[in-house]
Amino acid sequence: MSIDTIQVRVTAIAEVAPAIREFTLAPVGGELLPFSPGSHVVVEMPAEPRPHRNAYSLLSDPRESGSYRIAVRRQETSRGGSIYMHESVAVGDELSITPPANLFSPAWSARKHLLVAGGVGITPFMSYLPELERRGANFELHYLYRSSSTGAYREQLEQTLGERCFLYDSEAGNRCELGTLLADQPRGTHVYICGPETLIAGVHEVAQSLGWPESHIHYEAFAAPQPGNPFEVELARSGVTLNVDADSSLLEVLEGAQVQVPNLCRGGVCGQCQTRVLSGDVEHRDEFLSAAEREQGESIMPCVSRAAGKRLVIDL
Amino acid sequence: MPDEPLIKSRPTYTEVSLRPNTQKHLFVSTAQSLSRIRSLYEAAPKGEKALYLFGKPEVTDLGTECGSLSELDVVINALPLASAVYVAGDEGFLWDVHNLAEKAGLASEQIQLLAPESNKRRLFCTHCYAITEEVTYSPHACSGCGRLLLVRDHYSKLHGAYVGVQINAEDPADIPETEELV
Repeated sequence: MSIDTIQVRVTAIAEVAPAIREFTLAPVGGELLPFSPGSHVVVEMPAEPRPHRNAYSLLSDPRESGSYRIAVRRQETSRGGSIYMHESVAVGDELSITPPANLFSPAWSARKHLLVAGGVGITPFMSYLPELERRGANFELHYLYRSSSTGAYREQLEQTLGERCFLYDSEAGNRCELGTLLADQPRGTHVYICGPETLIAGVHEVAQSLGWPESHIHYEAFAAPQPGNPFEVELARSGVTLNVDADSSLLEVLEGAQVQVPNLCRGGVCGQCQTRVLSGDVEHRDEFLSAAEREQGESIMPCVSRAAGKRLVIDL
Repeated sequence: MPDEPLIKSRPTYTEVSLRPNTQKHLFVSTAQSLSRIRSLYEAAPKGEKALYLFGKPEVTDLGTECGSLSELDVVINALPLASAVYVAGDEGFLWDVHNLAEKAGLASEQIQLLAPESNKRRLFCTHCYAITEEVTYSPHACSGCGRLLLVRDHYSKLHGAYVGVQINAEDPADIPETEELV
């Protein structure tokens, strides 16, 4: 990892929705760093053959720095990080985490904050809400979930937020009319979306078609690296060639070979791991590079992106 | 002086165009700049646009006369979320309107400024904080404290003004030659 990790102990595990578990993490000696609303940490899980490293939003009140809380949704089809958290982590276990980083901070100049959460995407907003309340900000939470698997914290949210909380259980047939919701907002509203990519894309598209300014649309999606075709990568500086198998990300393979690459989000958004490509075509899967940069093909975000062909030469 | 590093705070102005997906297009112009903004105003869809003019325009069939920024503030605060504002005038005026619109909740990409209509600068004195309008050469006497100020290219968007610092603090009798500003 590019940053010194922090050792934490799991002090509590709670089922907050049928498919979501909440983990309370306390420091092993020392104190935890304070964080700002919207921050996340990367949790390192000591799995075999390679560790899982997943980013999770901190969902506690930023003023409570005695412990951190994260919530993990079990993803049956993913590469196993969430299943590891659900099945292999017990109270008393120790884990390594990175210090908090924030790529999804509220825009405090907003005249109104419209929070749109889908499923486990409620987590970053759990740290927004206490701070929004303290500042007396104008906000609404619109929370879309499926009660048989997600919908964590909804009773508590409904109770504390009252009429500023809007719940949509798709299994009860409650749909959120995005067109109406986004058309009805006053000037100076910022919208924040966290949830599945389809929700982010949907809100984004509707907001754009309604003339929302791009800089007032904020979203966070930690795309876990998706599997792809295996390929070979040559490190130009050392001359070493590594094989990236179908299930590993390029970043993971580099880390496995003790090649240090700075990184923060491991999900294609923060830009820290940007690496120069010397030859080979890239299948870009990140949210960081601009269309023009993709076109140029001189950079890759190794946390999520892969070679489009069989071989890639990078400047490491 | 081409060797001088570019001062990053000095605004640059690009081509202005109609913003798509917009419910209301608001044009704000000085009488002098009307001819520069007029074709853009005319190209905006009917019923979804308004023009506010500062100062008496020669053409009177166009737009609403606006007496002050506080009158304009009321207009801006009635705009819907999907609005666009286009501004033409002197540089200080451009940023006054820009700041009003931003305070009303518009994003910077919703506010477009035409290149300033002249080289007149608003000057902010770093010693007494007084504002001197319509400055076209440097050094220039401050309207507040009378100090002779070097007019820098360093720009404050907040004040819509260029920063002025005394040029002859060591020897007030030393009066450097004046230069036309660009």
